[in-house]
Amino acid sequence: MTLTVLLLGLAVGVLVGLLGIGGGVVLVPAMVYLLHMDQHMAQGTSLLILLPPVGLGALREYWKQDQVDVRAGILCALGMFVGGYAGGLIAVPLTSRHLKGLFGCFLILAAFLLWRKPQPKSPVADSVGEESSRG
Amino acid sequence: MAEGLARDASIFVAACVCGVASGLFGIGGGVLLVPFLALFFAFGQHRAQGTSLVALIPPTGLLAFLAYARAGYVHWKIGLLLIPGVIVGGILGGLLAKRLQPQRMRQVFAGVMFVLGIWQAAAAWWR
Repeated sequence: MTLTVLLLGLAVGVLVGLLGIGGGVVLVPAMVYLLHMDQHMAQGTSLLILLPPVGLGALREYWKQDQVDVRAGILCALGMFVGGYAGGLIAVPLTSRHLKGLFGCFLILAAFLLWRKPQPKSPVADSVGEESSRG
Repeated sequence: MAEGLARDASIFVAACVCGVASGLFGIGGGVLLVPFLALFFAFGQHRAQGTSLVALIPPTGLLAFLAYARAGYVHWKIGLLLIPGVIVGGILGGLLAKRLQPQRMRQVFAGVMFVLGIWQAAAAWWR
């Protein structure tokens, strides 16, 4: 059991670094299906795991390659802090079944967004990209 | 200057949306933030991922976490056991991201998420 949990953490961590995500989107279903947790419990536990800077090691690698927009990152952190509170208030009173269904729909939407790729070679995107990196 | 401000404001609003998803679903929010930065703000894939990792350094989920903790929805033992693995794995993933085509990885991951999403939604529906 303990070993499963440790290995699960490692596997999720690889995705964190590889994709630049928090990992909760993998952790929550993994805890629900592999560790048989209730949906609310899995989500609360996932938020606990994300409190320490789990992505710091991965960030270092991106930083070395100058692939970081610190200003935008700080703005995003502020926005997510505010929005997170609202989301928590919405989720807690929901029934586990509804929350699970919503989570499923969210995964489908996120998968769709993740799949879509803006064309990096298009001249418009390139010029905007340059501008945003200066800003 | 005004343009920069408008961009800052829209990034903040987009992040608020990610935050709601983060609190609602108990996730980091990066899974939404990375595509947002890439699609709406013309970030390159690596840059979007690096910036998302910056946003995940401070405990942005703290307020949401407290809401869950108050209701007793936290499994402390498993949570604490998962943390070290995620940190070590994160370093490995960061190193791998330099070598691999993140685009391909992302699509594989999106496919897995899609299947998982349909499975979860269906399981919640027909119970």
